[in-house]
Amino acid sequence: MSMVALEGLRPWLLQRLTALYLLFYTAYVVVYWSFFNVISYKSWQQWVAADLNQIMLGLFYLAVLIHAWVGVRDVLLDYIKPFMLRLLLLFAVAIFLIGSGFWLIKILMMVNA
Amino acid sequence: MASTSRPIYLNLFKIKLPISGIISIFHRLTGVLMFLAIPVSLYLLQLSVESISSYESVVSLMLYPLSRFFILLVTWSFVHHFLTGIRFLLIDIDLFLDKESVRRSAWAVVFVEFVLMVVIVVGVFL
Repeated sequence: MSMVALEGLRPWLLQRLTALYLLFYTAYVVVYWSFFNVISYKSWQQWVAADLNQIMLGLFYLAVLIHAWVGVRDVLLDYIKPFMLRLLLLFAVAIFLIGSGFWLIKILMMVNA
Repeated sequence: MASTSRPIYLNLFKIKLPISGIISIFHRLTGVLMFLAIPVSLYLLQLSVESISSYESVVSLMLYPLSRFFILLVTWSFVHHFLTGIRFLLIDIDLFLDKESVRRSAWAVVFVEFVLMVVIVVGVFL
């Protein structure tokens, strides 16, 4: 396979791998929340602050951000033809996603404080 | 040169899209919608863990009819994106490839989606 042929493979694979984690995390949350009560501040806060859940939530958002990047990038490449506009929008989306990632880190640090 | 003069006819209002095409377009649409909802989810997450009073404010915020509409919209987006996504993953591993299975699996998604939404609306939302 030539390098050119591989160019589309990495985002394609990232999209699928992150999708699998998102499926897994959704199943985890749905099953957990159906058996354990998290509808009070105390139990909810404790659930979010638990080490395992923090790691899984961190990975969830990481997967969401990567998945959203590949997806929105595909949409922009399909519909936005003018080069500069396309570049500008891709840049805006990247900033939006990276900013969201930092925001989550801030929230997780707050939970730990 | 010849390739650029090929007739391209993509008037979506004149093309009769098969069911697999319709759910595929909605996969995109719901994806973009949830992309826009990312900061909202972070904002709500932050408020919900910050303090008991901000937690209460999230709870009361969710009672507004407008917020309930958006919660329902995002929930549906998630359900649709999730189910069509599973179908795409199965197509990736070469399932549902012939014309009839493509159509049937698309209808199966619509059916499961409908059932799930009824369960969610009746069981959780109301």
